[in-house]
Amino acid sequence: MKELQQILKKEFIHIFRDKITLFLVLAIPIVLVLLFGFTISTDINHAKIAILDLSNDSQSNELIEKIDASGYFEIVSTPKSETEIDNDFKNKNIKLALIIPPNFEKVLAKEKYITIQIISDVSDLNVASILNNYIKAILHDFTLDYNVGSPMKVPIEISTRMMYNPEANSVYMFVPGIITLIMIIVTALLSSITLSREAETGTMRMLLIAPVKKIYVVIGKVIPYMILSFISTIAIIIISVVVFKMPIEGSFWLLLLLCIIFMLTSASFGMMISSLVKTQLDAMMITMMGLFLPTALLSGFLFPIDNMPYFFQLLANIFPAKWFIIAIKDVMIKGSGIVDIWLYLVILLGMAALLITFSLSRIDKRR
Amino acid sequence: MPAIHIQNLNKSYSHKISALKNVSFDVAEGEVFGVVGPDGAGKSTLFNILTTLILPDSGEISVLHKDIIKDYLEIRKSIGYLPGTFSLYPDLTVEENLIFFATMYKSRIKDNMSLIRPIWQQLLPFKNRYAGKLSGGMKQKLALCCALIHKPSLLFLDEPTTGVDPVSRKEFWEILGSIKQQNITVIVSTPYMDEATLCDRIALFKDGSIVTMDTPQQIIQNFAGTLYTLRTSNIFNLLNIMKHFSCNCTFYPYGENLHIIFYENTSTALPQFENFLKENHQSYDHLTQITPTIEDCFIELTSQKIAL
Repeated sequence: MKELQQILKKEFIHIFRDKITLFLVLAIPIVLVLLFGFTISTDINHAKIAILDLSNDSQSNELIEKIDASGYFEIVSTPKSETEIDNDFKNKNIKLALIIPPNFEKVLAKEKYITIQIISDVSDLNVASILNNYIKAILHDFTLDYNVGSPMKVPIEISTRMMYNPEANSVYMFVPGIITLIMIIVTALLSSITLSREAETGTMRMLLIAPVKKIYVVIGKVIPYMILSFISTIAIIIISVVVFKMPIEGSFWLLLLLCIIFMLTSASFGMMISSLVKTQLDAMMITMMGLFLPTALLSGFLFPIDNMPYFFQLLANIFPAKWFIIAIKDVMIKGSGIVDIWLYLVILLGMAALLITFSLSRIDKRR
Repeated sequence: MPAIHIQNLNKSYSHKISALKNVSFDVAEGEVFGVVGPDGAGKSTLFNILTTLILPDSGEISVLHKDIIKDYLEIRKSIGYLPGTFSLYPDLTVEENLIFFATMYKSRIKDNMSLIRPIWQQLLPFKNRYAGKLSGGMKQKLALCCALIHKPSLLFLDEPTTGVDPVSRKEFWEILGSIKQQNITVIVSTPYMDEATLCDRIALFKDGSIVTMDTPQQIIQNFAGTLYTLRTSNIFNLLNIMKHFSCNCTFYPYGENLHIIFYENTSTALPQFENFLKENHQSYDHLTQITPTIEDCFIELTSQKIAL
C-alpha cells in the first residue's frame, strides 16, 4: 500500500506543479456552465416582426395590440405593401411578418372564417419554428376571446401541463449535459494524457520493470483526477442550483454516487485510450475525437437519440454518457430513486470493469 | 551458476524482421559484460527480453537462476535498470525521484545508502532541484542512484553514456568500477567501441547475431590482419581514389585518418599501396602499423563476412 500512497503523492505533485492545467481544470467548468446558462437559451424574447395591416379596423387593431403585449415580439415596422415586407426582411432584420387581409372585422363577423398569412425567416430553423408556435398560440387565444359569448365554441380545447419542467426551462436540459462533458474532459482526457505521458517519458517502462503492482500504478494515477473532477462537478451543481434555480428532486447522495461511478467509467475510458497510443498528442486527439465529440453528439445532450438513424441509436449505447445523462436527469429532474436507476449504475460499473481489465492487459503486455 | 544464461534466443517483430537470431551466451556473477554493436544490432530487444518487458519467440533464458517466462515477477525484484534516455520525472526534485523509485521497490533510501553514497554525495547540492533541470551527466548519476537504491544483484545499463559529454562518460565508468566491487553483475550495452575495452567481456552484435564474444584483449589479439593508419589532409578525396585500389584489404576513415587492414602479406601489399598513392599524387604522412582497437576489430570481423 505504501507504493500506492507514493504514486498518489507523486501524481498530486505533478498536478500542483503544473499550475496552468490545474487552473484550467478548475476554472473551465465554472466558466462553461455560466456561459451556457446565460447565452444558450431556447426562450426568445422581443423578436423583431413587421405587420402589414390591410384592414385597419377595430378587430385588427385588437389583434396587433395582443401581439405587442405578449412580450415575445417587437413590432419594428408597419409596411404598406408586400414589397415593403421584403425590404424589411433585408434591412430591418425582422424574423417574421404578418399580413392581415382587407376587411378583417367584416369577414370575420360574416364568414366566421379568415386566413392570415405569416411569413417567416427560416434561415434559422429553430428560431423560426419557435416564433411560429408563439404567434399561433396568440392567434388561437385571439380566436377564443372573439368567440366568447357567441354560440359557436371551439370543439377541442388543448390544455397542456408540462411535467418536471413546468416553465420549459432550457437550463434543465443542459446542466446534465455540461456535467457529463466536464467529467469527460477532466477524467477521461487528463487520465489518458497522464498515462501516455508516462509512456512518452519512459517512466512507464521504469514502473513496469519495478515489482510494484500495475493496478496500483493505474489507480494511483487516476484517483487524483477523479478528485479534481469531483470538485468541478460539485461546483457545477452548486452554480446550477444557486444561479439557475435547477432543482435536485432526487437524493443528493444518490446524485453524488452516480457522478462518482460515471467518473470511474470515464477514467477507465481514458485509460483504455492511453493504453492503445504511444504519445500524449495521440491520446489527446483520440480522446477528443473518439470520446468527447461522440459524447456531445450521441449522448442525447444536443440531439434526441430517438430521432437518430437506427445505427447511431445502437452506437450511442457504447458511450457511457448516454446512460449517465438518462440517470442524472431522472435523479435531478424527476426525483427518481436508486430503484429506478440501478440498471444504469450497473451498466456504467460494468463498462468500467471491462475497460480497466483490458487496459491492464495492454499496459503490461509482455509480447 | 551464471547470472544470466541464454540458449538459442530468437525474437522477431514481424515475420520478416528478425531482431535476434540464435543468440546464446552466459554472464558470470560479478562480471561487467558489454553488449556492443551499432544501432539496430538488437541490443535493445535483448535488454527488453532480459528485463522481462517482452517475451522471446524461442530460447531458454534464465536471469538470476529464474526463468524469464514463469518467474518474471521474482526477477523484477532483484534487477536494476538504467535506460539510455532520461526516464525519471522531470518535475520532481532529485530527492523526490529517488524516494519514489525506492518505494516502488519496497525499499528506503537509508537502507542502501552505503551503496550509492559516492554518487549521492555529488548529487546532494542539487537535491531540491527539479530532475529535468539537471545537466546530462547529473541526470545519469541520478538515474543510476534510482536503479541501485534497492541493491539489485544484476544491473542493466542500456546505452548509459549515449549523449553524455566525454568527461561525464569517463566518470560514469569509474563509478561502474566501484559498483563491481559490491559484487553486482553489470550488463551494459553501448555503441561506443572505446567503452567496450572497460568491460570484463564483450559480445559484438551485428544484425541480431553475435559476431564474436571474448575479453576485449583476446578479441584484439585475434585480429586477423595487419592494420595500418595514415594521415592525409583530404580524407574525402583519398576515399574516392581508394575505390580504384584493388587488394585483399579493407579501408575506412577513422577520425582524421585512414585505416587500412591488409589480409595478405604486407611485404608485397604495402609497396603496392605506396605506389598507388604516388601515382594518384596523394600526399600523406605517418603510414604506420598500429595495434587495432575494438572498433577496428568490429570492422574487420563484419567486413570479412561480407567478403566471404
